[in-house]
Amino acid sequence: MLHLIKYNIIVKTRCMNVIFWPLVFPLILGTLFYFAFGNIEEADFETVHAAVVEEDHADTVFLEFLETLEDDDEPLIQVQKLSRPDALDALKDQKVEGIYFTGEELTLCVGGNGIPESILQSLLESYENGKQAMELVAELHPEGIVAAAEQMGEYEELVEQVSLGGRTTDGNIQFFYALIAMACLYGAFIGLDAAVNIQSNLSALAARRCVTPTHKLKLILTEMLSCFFLHFLNVLILLAYLQYVLKLDFQGQGASMLLISLLGSMIGVSMGIFVGSFGKMGEGVKVGLLLGISMTGSFLAGLMAGEIKYLVDRQAPFVNRINPAAVITDAFYCVNVYDDPGRFGRSLVTLAVMCIGLTLASFLLIRRERYDSI
Amino acid sequence: MVEIKNLVKRYGDVVALDHLNLQVREGEIFGLLGPNGSGKTTAINCMLALLSFDRGDIRLFGEEMSPDNYKVKQQIGIVLQNVAVFDELTVYENIDYFCGLYIRDKARRKELVDEAIAFAGLEEYQKKRPPKLSGGLLRRLNIACGIAHKPKLIIMDEPTVAVDPQSRNKILEGIQELNRQGSTIIYTSHYMEEVEQICTRIAILDHGRSIAVGTKEELKMMIKTGETITIEAVALAGEQLAAIRDLPHVFAVDYEGQVLTVRCTKARHNLLSLLNYLQEQEIVFGRVFSELPTLNDVFLEITGKQLRD
Repeated sequence: MLHLIKYNIIVKTRCMNVIFWPLVFPLILGTLFYFAFGNIEEADFETVHAAVVEEDHADTVFLEFLETLEDDDEPLIQVQKLSRPDALDALKDQKVEGIYFTGEELTLCVGGNGIPESILQSLLESYENGKQAMELVAELHPEGIVAAAEQMGEYEELVEQVSLGGRTTDGNIQFFYALIAMACLYGAFIGLDAAVNIQSNLSALAARRCVTPTHKLKLILTEMLSCFFLHFLNVLILLAYLQYVLKLDFQGQGASMLLISLLGSMIGVSMGIFVGSFGKMGEGVKVGLLLGISMTGSFLAGLMAGEIKYLVDRQAPFVNRINPAAVITDAFYCVNVYDDPGRFGRSLVTLAVMCIGLTLASFLLIRRERYDSI
Repeated sequence: MVEIKNLVKRYGDVVALDHLNLQVREGEIFGLLGPNGSGKTTAINCMLALLSFDRGDIRLFGEEMSPDNYKVKQQIGIVLQNVAVFDELTVYENIDYFCGLYIRDKARRKELVDEAIAFAGLEEYQKKRPPKLSGGLLRRLNIACGIAHKPKLIIMDEPTVAVDPQSRNKILEGIQELNRQGSTIIYTSHYMEEVEQICTRIAILDHGRSIAVGTKEELKMMIKTGETITIEAVALAGEQLAAIRDLPHVFAVDYEGQVLTVRCTKARHNLLSLLNYLQEQEIVFGRVFSELPTLNDVFLEITGKQLRD
């Protein structure tokens, strides 16, 4: 068995076109994804310019609040005190994005709709919420007013957006999960090549191997193990590229990610061996079939449009239960988004069962196969 | 060792093997001779359980051959018509790979691989990969991969196709050597000279049927032709040709482009009586050849067509 695995690995590593595209295509696609939307969240932030018009009975606390926001190295907001006409001129000339009027009532005047204007609005709301809270504390628990003021001084985000499992909420990461799933399924092409080399109707080399006393199951298993080993390396390279070169945050779930990739690679390879063993079609037809299966599977798993996966989940959940790409992406979600060990386990078991099933089916298909013509 | 009874194989409407019967005995170099499309390769592929067939029975080493009869497969070596080696492996690795499918013991395998390399004369090319080898060397590698494990039965399907004369001779000598070492060999070819040179028994195939089986001497005895006399640059009149036809033991006369071909039955002095007649008639002639019957004559007489038609 080791003899077969050794030579299978030598043959496949020397035959670059077999392992090249399953490795390179996902890397290229990953890079394109990254440039398309992978770094949206890291877009350069620009300080918002605003004017403050001090009117009678100005709220000095609000002015101090704004000053604290300006202290940062990259301040969220930069405020200039102007007279009402100058402030209105500045707004008109788009030198500022908004004007705070600090009379008895705090008001905000903005010149458009956009992120800077939303930030100014949000700051005003935050301040007013805090002010109301302080007034409430002063009224109900005057003894705690100092502590409350200190607490408020340490400005904190009180509402944190978290995922169900306390991990990532980056919506774009789903595309990369689907990409990894697709890369796993691309192992099918390595598996197909292996299947071609064990079917005597497809190559002379296969015919020679078929008349040796090597058991067919042994031939399939050794092909599968060597393909799987090589393709798992492909997927590891992709994962390393995504994590360390493109700096995608997989939330430190390395071991689980590896486990999914391991089973994902196996399902890809065994699917290729199965399709390669199925029927008496030519190699070209089988390549087309596999391409169709892997791309359709990846599409349904959300590779091209994230909503598709949810749509399929709602309309035809069974499809996603048997779609290896969807099961792989689901497993990634379980680890990085849902934190659902039960569902994660189910996904892994599903992949393992599919893999064993496909391998056994391949064996049954070709173990006693005699062909009508070769 | 090999017994094929009433083997029928159809490709749609085409009957590739038509109730083929063959028997190969231990120690033979058994030749399957026939033109392209006569069913040689189909018969081999059925024998190896690669092809399904419609009727018949194939037994190797007394056992029915099937895709999972690994016991029988252990004793067979094959050399297919198409070179079947890994382009990605070196000469040594290829032979080691295929030998390893039969022989598990590493030390023994190394010994056998070295022997096969020496046998095929590939010592200088051990580290080369197949794409770097010439056609002749590739064929030799193809053979080395099939015989390295020293099988009891070696099946060779046209192993010398597209091979230069030097490599062909080496291959034919090698096959005889393998036979001397104890292997039974089934050898298919459409080159009658090769089959005549090395095979101890021959089956002639045509349209999927075995039309004659025997040693080359037995086959030649089956036909009427005992001698074929060819005379070049001879000018003959109609009545002279008729007179030649009437000579004793002459049964066929062909005259085309001033070349006279006379077929005679097995008898003494056929050439002498023909030359005497030409001398009596004062007919001038050029070169004269007298040939004993070939397998082509056997094929021609049985089927009415040349072996290479």
